[in-house]
Amino acid sequence: MSLLAELAATIRAAGPAARGFPFERWAWRVFEYQYERNPAYRRLCERRGISPRTVARWQDIPAVPAAAFRQADLACGPAEAVFRSSGTTAGDGMRSRHAVPSLDLYRASAVPTFAHFLLPDAVRLPMLALLPPPELAPASSLVRMCAWVGEELCTGVEWFADDTGLRRDALQARLVAAADSGEAVVLAGPTAAFAALFESGWRVRLGPGSRLMDTGGAKGMRRPLSRAGFLRACWHHLGLAAYWCVNEYGMSELCSQRYESVLRERFAGASLAPRRLLAPPWLRTRVLDPDTLEEVSPGAPGLLCHHDLANAGSVAVVLTDDLGRAVDDGIAVLGRVPGAPARGCGLLLRELDER
Amino acid sequence: MSADERADLPAAPTSREIARALDLALEVRQRLRDRSPRETATALAAAARCWIEDEELHRGLPAVARLSAPMVGSVLPRVAAAFDVEAMVELVNRERGMSPPPGLVAAVVASNVPALAVPAIALGCLAGAAVLVKSGRGDPLSAPAFHRALAAVDSELAATVVPAYWPGGTSTLEQAALARAEVVVASGSDLTMEALRRRVGRRLVAHGTRTSVVALDIRRERCVDTLARAVALDVVLYDQRGCLSPQVALVAGDCEAFADALVRALAALRPVLPPGEATLEERAAIRLAIEEASWAGAHAVRAGLGGTVLVETWADLRPGPGGRTIRVCPLDSLRALPTALPRGRIECIAIHGDEVDVAALEARGVARLCQPGRMQEPPLAWPRGQRPALGSLLRPDDPMRTLLDERTLPASAMRTCPEAP
Repeated sequence: MSLLAELAATIRAAGPAARGFPFERWAWRVFEYQYERNPAYRRLCERRGISPRTVARWQDIPAVPAAAFRQADLACGPAEAVFRSSGTTAGDGMRSRHAVPSLDLYRASAVPTFAHFLLPDAVRLPMLALLPPPELAPASSLVRMCAWVGEELCTGVEWFADDTGLRRDALQARLVAAADSGEAVVLAGPTAAFAALFESGWRVRLGPGSRLMDTGGAKGMRRPLSRAGFLRACWHHLGLAAYWCVNEYGMSELCSQRYESVLRERFAGASLAPRRLLAPPWLRTRVLDPDTLEEVSPGAPGLLCHHDLANAGSVAVVLTDDLGRAVDDGIAVLGRVPGAPARGCGLLLRELDER
Repeated sequence: MSADERADLPAAPTSREIARALDLALEVRQRLRDRSPRETATALAAAARCWIEDEELHRGLPAVARLSAPMVGSVLPRVAAAFDVEAMVELVNRERGMSPPPGLVAAVVASNVPALAVPAIALGCLAGAAVLVKSGRGDPLSAPAFHRALAAVDSELAATVVPAYWPGGTSTLEQAALARAEVVVASGSDLTMEALRRRVGRRLVAHGTRTSVVALDIRRERCVDTLARAVALDVVLYDQRGCLSPQVALVAGDCEAFADALVRALAALRPVLPPGEATLEERAAIRLAIEEASWAGAHAVRAGLGGTVLVETWADLRPGPGGRTIRVCPLDSLRALPTALPRGRIECIAIHGDEVDVAALEARGVARLCQPGRMQEPPLAWPRGQRPALGSLLRPDDPMRTLLDERTLPASAMRTCPEAP
């Protein structure tokens, strides 16, 4: 069994709630694997004088900057899929390319994590995606994930965007039908797509148990909306209380995602816990001082550096353009470094609009 | 407390207060219509000399502009040095022509570097207009200080100037104030300019995002250290925040040797011109530039105490992260310079060497050429974005031009070593 298949099996067996996941042992094995099979990454390690023989702690495994995904193919083998970041304003040359040699590993990480944070009650609901279907957006890792979630965890997935952008009328009609029948649904899509839906002033009260996953933040919004404003709008326009609204933090360069803890904690009777982005145990994030690249003291802001074992097929440690801070056992994202190219799925629908 | 509620920022005026102040300024301007350019230039020059002594300005500016006190002490005289009477008269004679002066010029100045309001006031006065100058959040002090200085030497001319500050996005006030201007000159990001253009239309003279570079031929150069000191000064002044701050040094010759000299020069300037406190975002941007350069196989990354020098193996002309970070990139010769530049994005080039094709650089959109070490001392005639400094206030369609900065770049001096700063 290959390392990627073995890791996928380990992740599936453990699940996102696992305590004592052997992160460090796998971090070392994945580093060794990538050092051997990823020439571009190996060159970076060699320039820094680091190899699997010299690394003592998982924190010392070299990170690649997210920009590296714009400049080189970083796969450890032939890619089963190549995901591209969206980024209309930045131009094609500024898009990331994440070549993924094992879609099964991506799926093993993404689907159970979605279930853990969005479906803690284990219900099967229809998913309404404010996204184009996979055939229209084959390079979107978010679309791919939603397709799997629809297949595996929901009764199906209906896509409400096409090559002209968001199909607002069809979506509104579907939501009205769901509201009238009391059918609960899972809404999923870029934050900007929800904001576009809200702009019309249209309102509906979705059935109990309906929930929403948004991702991408303010990127791609025609008018910026704060997080608090977004949650108010979800209540006003969809009748969804804030605890049914879960933000996802993901990147096309990562095969694992973080989710807000809010819905899971509501079900666990911990509603007063602060909103924060939690990860499955195979994804760890360090908050780094930009000057030293050492970890900042708990709660202090810094650059986010993710160590995602589900990225075993490319590069596991990614230094992002995002600023954030640790909040208890999770993180909060504070924004992007100025000058970093605009990117992310928030721009996906705008790209379709502009085609 | 939000950035716009900072205690050190002046309170925004009301629309009525602005309207009253503009009425008065236009009335006085009408009375001064027969005043000679020399009289105006003389008053402006005297005001500039007073302005650099303004204690309130020296006390307050470091905190609001996030520059060190020595830096403020160094840049203010450089701004005032542009207020040369003869140069101002010559500018008026060259660019004013027969066009009637506009009634009101409004200047909306950016926040990235301080004292941008001061030349804006001078150009408005020289154009024969009343001037409304809206300062940015990073320097609400320079314009009122210059206004005080002008009032002390020429109260009538000062009465034609209305300095104001209001937080960006105060749309009612901004609409009311800018609606009366015949010309609105604005500097800031491309996004800000686009938003302003929607409101102001064709009256806008927009100065969006531009950057500057250094181009050096050091193949037969014996004074690389002197050149590096001059370039370091260009980088360090204003903490590399302005459109005249070089982000890239294109070097024909030994890039490594020049980079080494530059690191030493930057370190030597640090105690003299210490940097202001960098924000987390600024520090993070520098770190990402270093990591990206390192990943991409930059020849070397020299991060010293005084700044960061990234030695690239190809010409990378993207804007840098600032914070005294400069890329050193190879160039075959200065003859290859025009084709290496992105069109319409380069404001100023500090050049050392011969083989300079000025016409080709002008066609590329370069607005100003000067010697290394002089980038942060633009004359008042600097045609920002190739728009004539004074002519663009009088005739929006004036032809574009490039300033070969005669004061600092006589053609015969191109091959000489610049003075050590």
